[in-house]
Amino acid sequence: MIVCGMDRSTVAGGALAPRTHHYARAEGSLRHGQRFRLCTALAALAICASAWAAPPGAPTQVKAVDNPEDDRGTQMIVSWEAPTKRQRPWGTYWAGYQVFYAPVGRERRPGPLAPPESTEVVAACFKPWPWRPYNTQVAVVYLPTPALAVTDASGAIAPSGAHFVFSDTIGPVQPLALWYNAKRTNVLVMMLLYSAIVLITIHYATRRAEDMYIRPIAGLEAVNDAIGRATEMGKPILYISGLSGISDVATIAAMLILGHLARRTARYETQIIVPCQDPLVMAAEREIVRDAYLEAGKPQAFRPEDIYYVTDSQFGYVAAVDGVMMRERPAACFYMGYFYAEALILAETGNAAGAIQIAGTDADTQLPFFITACDYTLMGEELYAASAYLSRQPLLVAQLRGQDLGKILIAAVLLVGTAITTLATFWPEVAQRFLDWFNV
Amino acid sequence: MKLQVPLVITFLVGVFMAVQFFVPHEVGQGGYEMLLKWARLVGAFALVLGIGSLWRTHGDKIRRRRPDWPYSVVALVSFVVMVVLGIVYGHGEHTGFDWVFRHIQVPLDATMFALLAFFVASAAFRTFRARSVEATLLLVTALVVMLGRVPIGELLYHRMPQVSEWIMTVPTVAGKRGILLGVALGAAATALRIILGIERSHLGGAGGSGEGE
Repeated sequence: MIVCGMDRSTVAGGALAPRTHHYARAEGSLRHGQRFRLCTALAALAICASAWAAPPGAPTQVKAVDNPEDDRGTQMIVSWEAPTKRQRPWGTYWAGYQVFYAPVGRERRPGPLAPPESTEVVAACFKPWPWRPYNTQVAVVYLPTPALAVTDASGAIAPSGAHFVFSDTIGPVQPLALWYNAKRTNVLVMMLLYSAIVLITIHYATRRAEDMYIRPIAGLEAVNDAIGRATEMGKPILYISGLSGISDVATIAAMLILGHLARRTARYETQIIVPCQDPLVMAAEREIVRDAYLEAGKPQAFRPEDIYYVTDSQFGYVAAVDGVMMRERPAACFYMGYFYAEALILAETGNAAGAIQIAGTDADTQLPFFITACDYTLMGEELYAASAYLSRQPLLVAQLRGQDLGKILIAAVLLVGTAITTLATFWPEVAQRFLDWFNV
Repeated sequence: MKLQVPLVITFLVGVFMAVQFFVPHEVGQGGYEMLLKWARLVGAFALVLGIGSLWRTHGDKIRRRRPDWPYSVVALVSFVVMVVLGIVYGHGEHTGFDWVFRHIQVPLDATMFALLAFFVASAAFRTFRARSVEATLLLVTALVVMLGRVPIGELLYHRMPQVSEWIMTVPTVAGKRGILLGVALGAAATALRIILGIERSHLGGAGGSGEGE
């Protein structure tokens, strides 16, 4: 922690005392009227001398230290001691403080404002990169009218006519930033361990991937049936890739499944309708389906107008998709990705439209609704395994083995944790240390 | 090139996003916030694509006089009205935009949401028909949980609320956590294989995986 502070000179009241004593000794030799005039003149002189010697109402004891709660290194706590009321410039009102800071060798810039009663402010305007130290000052803001100092849209002090009295410059001071958050070591260890398991498994298991057993997933086994049904009936397939954005892994998994599905529908030239709730997802899915049709050698069968944007309003989207279901009567409906309250409305409408329905979501709150209303449901991790399951690519299938090993690792940690927690009665400190390690 | 450039960008951004989680320094967090801003900018451009798509879809429907085309007219007119109200008169409180939002869109949303009550009833009726052991188990559990949350349940059996609470806090949470652990591992593995370029299906023809049957 860096601390830097400096006192401003104080009033030299002590130096006046002996002189006062000197005039007191001459008291007996002067007449009453003379004594009164002399005292009045001395008092006026003392006030003038005091006003001349005092600092012009600036804060004292200014300090700037790194904010220990800010690991980014962009904040400093600036503290000061308020000037006394009699140091206020004539005809002004005390309206607050303002911190000023400047990288060494640069011009100072205004920082945060603080109300008159405060003696500390967190200044969050520093940049630790490229590691330039700062000089800091605190100014008292005096206004010609009684008001609280605020900054207007341009950053200037309002109301106008502000008079600043600056403290001495302190510094250079630099806020501290951390390059590593030690509290997240447990996450890093688990992340590296799991990544290593997955990569090593992929490396060793790829050659044997074709013989690897994959648990049959009914929902994915039914994909071909759904496509066949749609093809035979001459009706479209409706594909919905959830209501979260493209940054959600569930949406990406849904897009991967769409790619596999589109390759199959392209072969049979079956229409696939994809209403989207996010324009970014729409753009990506349009490209995925276009490439799938190209890969299948059926570019003429691709209909870009079937992958379209509806709205980002949750229930507006549901209303539109329900309308599509009831008008187009799709032979199969796929719901893949992350869903919210609309899950059951969509699935029940699809059921009423007579479609075969396959859902897959990692939204644990919506799983019961899909299980209830759909013919097949991919639960949680099955959504992420679907791409490997559908493609049967050795690399992807081998990665499923890595996922299983990860589950074994977690199960082992759960068992050890359960045992330690049970034994906590005898060794509470050891148990607590173990449990603390898993806190993020 | 069409394959390699997206793969390199994905790798670099993916590794940066993973690393910045452990770096509280302004360099890490500032970079993260900058990428989020870029994502918002890309999203704003994509919105233009979305609006274009909306106009094409409904315009085509109106032009070809497809079934229910008047609804497309309503959609496009509503779009124009909202845009004009928002741009010309602003979208703060007590503006035309605000009025339309509060008195038309919110009730319409609420209407759609209210449908959920009827759908829950119809879905429950279909599922709770005790045709198999699993369905019967589900029916009994649901009955216990529902009865435990209404006064008549306690009247029938004084420990019904506790049984209901136990079902919700022990077996339900255990199952839920099992699913969530699988989801976390699956999501991490998916992210890993996309970052490392093992999964390329999303790149379409350029990197699409061979399809197994």
